[in-house]
Amino acid sequence: MKKTMTLNLMPTEMAALDELARKKDLSKTAVIRQALRLYQAVDLRIEDGEKLFFEDEKENKKTELVVL
Amino acid sequence: MSFRVIQLLEPPENKLVEAKLIDTLKPHDLELVERAWTPERDRLLREYLLRGIDRRAYPQSLHWRWDKKARHLRELQARATGILVGDAWQGVMLTKSATQFARLQPDRGKPLVYIDYIEAAPWNLNLPDIGQQRRYRGVGPVLVREAILQSQREGFHGRLGLHSLPQSEHFYTGCGMTGVERDAAKQNLLYFEMTREAATRYMENEVSAT
Repeated sequence: MKKTMTLNLMPTEMAALDELARKKDLSKTAVIRQALRLYQAVDLRIEDGEKLFFEDEKENKKTELVVL
Repeated sequence: MSFRVIQLLEPPENKLVEAKLIDTLKPHDLELVERAWTPERDRLLREYLLRGIDRRAYPQSLHWRWDKKARHLRELQARATGILVGDAWQGVMLTKSATQFARLQPDRGKPLVYIDYIEAAPWNLNLPDIGQQRRYRGVGPVLVREAILQSQREGFHGRLGLHSLPQSEHFYTGCGMTGVERDAAKQNLLYFEMTREAATRYMENEVSAT
């Protein structure tokens, strides 16, 4: 059973959501749903002691992403 | 547990057999799958060893353990789907939503449903080397169809991705998927993708790739 909620966003946040929905060919609801799933997966792994990195192979650069 | 009724085929006459498709398997279900399949995996292994058959001919998923994959299900993006005939699991699949993105045009960069693991029960494998004929046909095609439906429900237009074991590459080609590239990060397995057009064709034609 799906549940409904109202989401209040700042104009810049709404613009980012619009842009992601356009780029990924998804509804705004689908983008929010995927974002939540990603956040939950990252949170679980960080709780397990894993770390999240962005890697730029060309620049040979690795940056740890700190997630709140 | 909610389910949909589907049909498998029972060789040699290809008699239709009613089965249940369940897309909300819990970790406990995966433990039950493995408890039922492990003795069968051991039986197959014994048959291969007794006949002195080269290891490279063994089913390449023989070492998989579904109970070890249960921890994936704590993540919202993971979903396990299975097929039951009576109380016996005939096939299981673990999918992840939007953990991978399409590599093929025209949807390159857009999310897809990634099939992390998919396997038919040991008794549903056709293994002529040891004289085994599968009990039921159609497990793989039904699970691929379900993955496409999941992808459509997510708004991904049926797009799928997976890394195939070498023995299964012909199956995915038969499903209309495209072998894109070998992936060094995934034991050099061939990455296959189902485009939205291929997914539409698959659903229209009910492709049987068994």
